[in-house]
Amino acid sequence: MTATGDAPRLALVDVSKAFGSTRALDGVSLDVHAGEVHVVAGENGAGKSTLIRVIAGALGDFSGELRLDGRAVRFASPAAAVAQGIATIHQELSLVPALSIADNFALAEPGHPFSLRARRASRERAARALHRLALALEPDVVVERLSVAERQLVEIARALAAPVRVLVMDEPTSALAEPDSVRLMTLVERLKQDGIGIVYISHRLDEIFRLADRVSVLRDGRRVFTRAARELTRDELVSAMVGRAASSAKVAQKAPFGAVRLRARSLTAAPPQALGPLAFELRAGETLGVAGVEGSGASTLLHALFGDARGVHAELELDGAAYAPDGARTAFARGVALLASDRRDSVLSALSVLHNATLSSLRAWSPAGLLRDGDERRAVAPESTRIKLKSPSLDAPAGALSGGNQQKTALLRCLLARPRLLLLDDPTRGIDVAARADVHDLLREVARGGTSILFRSTDLGELMALSDRVLVLARGRYVATIAPSELDEARLLSLMMGGTA
Amino acid sequence: MTRFATWAKLGPFVPLVAVLLVGAVLNAQGAFFEWQTHRAVLREVAVGGILACGMTVVIVSGGIDLAVGSLLGFSAVSFAWLTLAHGWPGLFAIPAVLALGALLGALSGALVAWPRLQPFIVTLAMMVFARGLAKELSGGQKISTYVHLPDGRFESVPLPRVFQALDGRVLGDNVSVVTLVFLASALVTWFILERLRIGRYLFAVGDHFEAARLSGVPVRATLLFAYLLSGIFAGLAGICQAAQETHGDPETGMGYELDAIAMVVLGGTSLSGGRGGVHLTVIGALTLGYLQKVLSLNAYSTELRLMLTGVILVLAAVFQRRFGRLDL
Repeated sequence: MTATGDAPRLALVDVSKAFGSTRALDGVSLDVHAGEVHVVAGENGAGKSTLIRVIAGALGDFSGELRLDGRAVRFASPAAAVAQGIATIHQELSLVPALSIADNFALAEPGHPFSLRARRASRERAARALHRLALALEPDVVVERLSVAERQLVEIARALAAPVRVLVMDEPTSALAEPDSVRLMTLVERLKQDGIGIVYISHRLDEIFRLADRVSVLRDGRRVFTRAARELTRDELVSAMVGRAASSAKVAQKAPFGAVRLRARSLTAAPPQALGPLAFELRAGETLGVAGVEGSGASTLLHALFGDARGVHAELELDGAAYAPDGARTAFARGVALLASDRRDSVLSALSVLHNATLSSLRAWSPAGLLRDGDERRAVAPESTRIKLKSPSLDAPAGALSGGNQQKTALLRCLLARPRLLLLDDPTRGIDVAARADVHDLLREVARGGTSILFRSTDLGELMALSDRVLVLARGRYVATIAPSELDEARLLSLMMGGTA
Repeated sequence: MTRFATWAKLGPFVPLVAVLLVGAVLNAQGAFFEWQTHRAVLREVAVGGILACGMTVVIVSGGIDLAVGSLLGFSAVSFAWLTLAHGWPGLFAIPAVLALGALLGALSGALVAWPRLQPFIVTLAMMVFARGLAKELSGGQKISTYVHLPDGRFESVPLPRVFQALDGRVLGDNVSVVTLVFLASALVTWFILERLRIGRYLFAVGDHFEAARLSGVPVRATLLFAYLLSGIFAGLAGICQAAQETHGDPETGMGYELDAIAMVVLGGTSLSGGRGGVHLTVIGALTLGYLQKVLSLNAYSTELRLMLTGVILVLAAVFQRRFGRLDL
């Protein structure tokens, strides 16, 4: 387990990569030594995922150099990277749920597709790998019966079944609850002792300071710094990620809001998406941002208010009347609309823009069940212009539009239902800057019209730009409510990542 | 864009035009140019076409209904049982048979909508069940005008007027009544899909169940409706079939579900749901009907006809995929 000379296990030298006009990585250099954990931190869009794809061989055409144990390498495919001993654990798990652990191990082994399956051999290999990581799991267990945490650990075990020189982990604890995260971190510490170089992407401060030997911060595709973890303070790390030292609140208190629109008391959700207990109020015209990374429960909160989450108990009042939604239909009937975070769940891609836009309010366009095409068109056309929806025509299938215009279409659908309470789950996820600005303008206008907005975002800029107040959740639990006068990006980020302010 | 869109709209017609051209060129000593030939095609596609109307609705909703052939058989037997064996007038027998079709269709729909069982499995089970029901009701025998009385004697009853009316021709003997029933079915289906709220919901559910649900669409009621409607059309097709055969045969309609699916798909309605329409199904039905007619007119053997039909189905599918994609 000795590297050639003092050369790092893996080094990136002056790596750049642009997608169109966006510079995802801009002259980034970093390295990881054998037996070292190098944490890469940064906000969404800082370039972390591009960095991972470069290392994992998923991006061929970048400029700069990749060195493995001092030798320059360039991977033609992810398989080539694996063959050279680079294992990558992605956020999305790649195990096949219907197969056993052993069969999943067999899938990852090279071999001719028609060779006889050496069941016993792969079973033994799986058992050895599980044992090595001290996982008390039987290789014959079918993956879909495992918890998310166990799957994550099995995935790591599988990646480590072959000889590994560098292990890249992309936010491996984002879907895990506290005890499982601790288990995973213990595992990382052991791997480090085995001489593996570990590149660890994380959002969570506790984790970063527990595991890291060195920390690099990326921002807007550039490396801000690389520092030894023990010389770094939390504040320094956070302000490096945000890009300025403790910028303070800039959102002025708006005109007084209306009456209480939504009152939630003792709101809880049962595991696996455990949440609460939470209590909060939202006034007419007020925008409440919910800050929380993936797995924080913020998304569950939105679905709970829409009547679309399991195991939810809550006392809810909407405009003073009891509100107990049992599904999307009752929610819409009471004037509550939800925009799901995954666009596949919010846009009907084969339906036209027009038919998408009116779907949630179709009763209004079809008295006695008869559609009135002309009415629909006359109502949607000016709205689509107002929200700057760019589409060849209202009859074009929504699936043919860009992400930003699809999102506007889905938002228009929610707005045509004339919601009193608008629930938005990461409303600008994966859309371009211009569309994002349009969506922000639109939401401000909607709030001025008296609609209450509750939105989740993982993006600090968005939370700062839109919220009147911010509710911070971490791992399903209430962390803080931040008033406008106290909104501060650094504090927010550190709260979101489960640290203390 | 516009030129492409125009071509895409014409796409579904291309296989039909090709078949008609071949028919005109081969023309079987001019037989292809006789109105009789076309009248026959329009009559022969009618029963399958009625089934295909219901099938279109189910496929648009993202499902499949394999039970329509058996439901047709059960409906034919029920109709004959009511009218011939029990002397019901058509005025009562027709609504009763349609209601039975609706009931069995709704049963499939309920199983698809609430436990979210796969349509393939549910309707496969219904296909077997309804065939059994048809055989049970008829005692395994055709129910004809030669009625088996309870005391063991046989009695010959006259063929009721409703049979003759449905098997007849109108408009100066130029158009079969069943053809008009098919066209009426297509018009009703078009109205439901394009002009009613439930039609929009059918497309939405077929496109993406989850997104439709989160948009406030009554997804389960919509699915129930699709199979219920398909059951009604199967009942109607069964009545026409009984009228044409002048008896209720428990074995009739075997494999018709596949013809109906072929008509829908040949027109270009997507099997994955959410796109298509019944106008396409009419084109698909005509394409299939004319193909059979052209081959039989020109004295191709049954064996060759089957093989050619298979080849042409694949060619049409390839063509649809390449050029005829709706809107996209």
